[in-house]
Amino acid sequence: MATIATPVFEQEYAGGTVARAQVGLWRDGFRRLRRNRLALAALVYLILLFLVAIVAIFWTPYNPATILPNTLTYLGPSAGHPLGTDDLGRDLLSRMMQGAQISLIVGLGTSLVVLTIGVVVGLIAGYFRGWVDTVISVFINIFYGIPGILVAIVLYLVLGRGLGNIMLAISATVWMDMARLVRGQAFSIREREFIEAARASGAKSGKILFGHILPNSLGPIIVQATFVIPIAILTEAFLSYLGLGIPSPLASWGSIASEGYAALPLEPYMMLWPAIALSVTLLAFNFLGDGLRDAFDPRQRR
Amino acid sequence: MLTRGTLIYIAQRLALIVFTLIAVSFLVFVTVHTLPGNAFESDRVHGRALQLLLHEYGLDQPVLVQYWNFLLNALHGNLGVSFQIRGLPITPLVMRELSVSAELGGTALLITIGLGTTFGVIAAMRQNSWVDYTLTSIAVVGYSVPSFVFAGLGVLIFSYFLPSVTNGVISYPAIWTGTYGTLVELSLPAIILGFYTSGQVTRITRAAMLEVLQQDYIRTARAKGLKTRVVTIRHALRNALIPVISILGPLVISIITGSVIIENIFGIPGLGKEFVESILAADYNVTVAVFTVYALLIGIANLIVDLLYTVVDPRIRY
Amino acid sequence: MTDPILDVRNLSTHFFTDDGEVKAVRGVSFHVQPGETVGIVGESGCGKSVTAMSVLGLVQRPGKVVNGEIMFKGRDLLKLNKEELRNIRGRDIAMIFQDPLSSMNPVLRVGYQIEEAMHAHNKIADAQIDARTIDLLKQVRVSDPERRVKDYPHQFSGGMRQRAMIAMGLSNKPDLLIADEPTTALDVTVQAQILELLRDLNEQTGAAIVLITHNLGVVAGLCKRVIVMYAGEIVEEGTVEQIFESPQHPYTWSLLRSVPRIDASRRARLLSIEGLPPDLIDLPAGCKFNPRCPFRIERCFSEAPLIEQVAPMQLAACWVTMEKAYAEMGAGDITDTSPGAASGVHPKGRQVLPEAEVTATVAESVGD
Repeated sequence: MATIATPVFEQEYAGGTVARAQVGLWRDGFRRLRRNRLALAALVYLILLFLVAIVAIFWTPYNPATILPNTLTYLGPSAGHPLGTDDLGRDLLSRMMQGAQISLIVGLGTSLVVLTIGVVVGLIAGYFRGWVDTVISVFINIFYGIPGILVAIVLYLVLGRGLGNIMLAISATVWMDMARLVRGQAFSIREREFIEAARASGAKSGKILFGHILPNSLGPIIVQATFVIPIAILTEAFLSYLGLGIPSPLASWGSIASEGYAALPLEPYMMLWPAIALSVTLLAFNFLGDGLRDAFDPRQRR
Repeated sequence: MLTRGTLIYIAQRLALIVFTLIAVSFLVFVTVHTLPGNAFESDRVHGRALQLLLHEYGLDQPVLVQYWNFLLNALHGNLGVSFQIRGLPITPLVMRELSVSAELGGTALLITIGLGTTFGVIAAMRQNSWVDYTLTSIAVVGYSVPSFVFAGLGVLIFSYFLPSVTNGVISYPAIWTGTYGTLVELSLPAIILGFYTSGQVTRITRAAMLEVLQQDYIRTARAKGLKTRVVTIRHALRNALIPVISILGPLVISIITGSVIIENIFGIPGLGKEFVESILAADYNVTVAVFTVYALLIGIANLIVDLLYTVVDPRIRY
Repeated sequence: MTDPILDVRNLSTHFFTDDGEVKAVRGVSFHVQPGETVGIVGESGCGKSVTAMSVLGLVQRPGKVVNGEIMFKGRDLLKLNKEELRNIRGRDIAMIFQDPLSSMNPVLRVGYQIEEAMHAHNKIADAQIDARTIDLLKQVRVSDPERRVKDYPHQFSGGMRQRAMIAMGLSNKPDLLIADEPTTALDVTVQAQILELLRDLNEQTGAAIVLITHNLGVVAGLCKRVIVMYAGEIVEEGTVEQIFESPQHPYTWSLLRSVPRIDASRRARLLSIEGLPPDLIDLPAGCKFNPRCPFRIERCFSEAPLIEQVAPMQLAACWVTMEKAYAEMGAGDITDTSPGAASGVHPKGRQVLPEAEVTATVAESVGD
């Protein structure tokens, strides 16, 4: 353990040294994250969910879209159908597994799109400032003034139904937070001396942007990206619930829930599964995001 | 408080709102018109009859011309007519639905702020106790669990297990019975909507309170011998509310977003439901009208929030 | 001698943190006479602020007063319940703090914050509060008090804010005012004004003042008596003249020597005390200053010295004292003030490292 005092003092007395060891931000952050049991539990759950989704690529108990002949509809949990069947006799377990795929794809995909758009826009606005920043800021503010869901609906219908388009549509409603965050980071980091040094030694803007500013803002950016995921999943679920989302026969948890709501008095299970799945998954992402933020945000105090 | 600077600021903001409304309505108008199909086409109406209808409603003209006409009419308060229900004037329709949505949204807003700030303050005062963990968890559940889950739950409880409590007013599947909901009809959707957004308010209030309680002036207040309750409310809360007000704008937007969902779930005849119906039926004018009304609401809400700042924080003046 | 207005006996305050128990204040005893001006001096972290906060019961989790008595007007403040203590705060004992901008609530008017203290305590009649507020601002030399009363803190300058804080403190005519580094955040010229103000107020109102600071110059300007703290203990106490002219504790002596002098030769090195204060969780045995003391003897490593009288009105906690250091160790013309240099005493098992080896070891340890 390194001490600040000159070594002459190390052996002076049996008492402890004066300065506490310096720990790096990342190491410290991971240590704190490991102590957050809720975030760890969330991570474990999400990894399991991820595995289920991957398995679903290759195998599900039944084909989620197939209306099975001679199968009773609205079946409760039974031997052949652990989660029961829906109003058309389709196996719910398979449909739920497919829903897992869709939720994760939409969630992670949207997050990536938002990351890209937000980071690029934010860096440009924050670094170049001037009229570029003004124009971009006005643009951001306009988007802030419109209810996201309306934009998502309109955009989605215009682009046409589909997995990729729904990611784009949802991204259009949440990219502003990321852009603003990155812009703020670019603003403050720009002012720091090592940027002056880099520019003085002739580094080009692009290199400065990606080589210096971006790495220093990674913490909050990752946290923000993590929080986009549950928002995306929730929005997709809402849209599918309203019938404006993933086209059938693809099974999204939202559309299963919507069909389940209609069937509530007949078979409550059909709504139960997506309700639980969505709630737990969203909670998990939110807890994970909280854990990441508590661990890596340097401004947080105990 | 109502200084010359403030008035100029208000004027600037209003101008900005008008500009935004025009921009938004234009964008939506043009976008919606790219959607395939139109409101009139069906099995019965096609060919020449269809052409006549399209001409009667001006749908055969170029989009920009259509928009120009729309804008001119709108400035006179006439938002056009609906296609779905032939000839139904949109303006009174939208006004009526606006009042419904406003009632729902307003109630939800009160619940959100009331619940959120109360929970947040209590959680902060009892930091790291079980009370804190419980309230914070409730907050997270609020914005994590989709509202249709609560809706389903609520409907299940009230119509299935406790029909007697509500005298069968809340019946499955639709709840709405009249244009203005009675308190009972409104309460479930409003509570669900309010609860959904209250989670954010709880978190922000709690974080703000915790930060404020660390401040030196709280130490001064205690050193002066003021009662704990006085220190909490007069000194801490007043300062903690400032960041809370800053999210009021986004909060209103969240409520609007949420109300679209809730209205569709419960069949409440508000703007949200109208929006979804109109866009699915290619009833463009209605879609644009609803969108624009929403944008107006948000613009005014943001302006009110910014003005509220000057009341709460004397350091801010325009 | 009359009864002291504040009599602190054997006060100990510890902080129970995740890293360990920080023994911030250990066995501190001192007293303040009515109307007296006393200064508590020491470097950052020596426990002076914690001592003051303990008096008023303002120490927060994870800190706790673990021992001692604080006698104020015949009552032990540590035995009072919350309500009784609250009655004393701001009324009989007032405290003002270091940074006047952050110490005042930014959203409330200055006048209101001053009145608040009076309303809370019923010592001043309601009808007189408004007038007294303006009066107080006049007393602390804030110009145009009638208008200033309605201003917000951000509309005041730094010096004015601190005056307003003083007004707040004195509003209920307390018997004792504790000022925790009141001038540290201010410009030097403003500092002088504030100190002068405090001196005048002490004469006018008869309120005793305890001034906490790390700045010896400030103490000289205001206080009659000085208490020197180091690592959570009192190491010396005496009148201002005694402390400045004949300090007996090596720490006090070192502090005085380290103040740069305008008449010193330009080549003279800036003297400082080698080393850093000890870790308050893991304290060394014996005298806490021994790792840095040039005059230490064998006894200093094993036994902690008790505070004893070394002159009329002067107390010090040292086995050696400067008197002996001057007489026997050549403190008068000392050039090397590294630990143990004058007495030649070092802890067992340690070599004195010559210059070159010192550098090598530094490099090694940094490479860890």
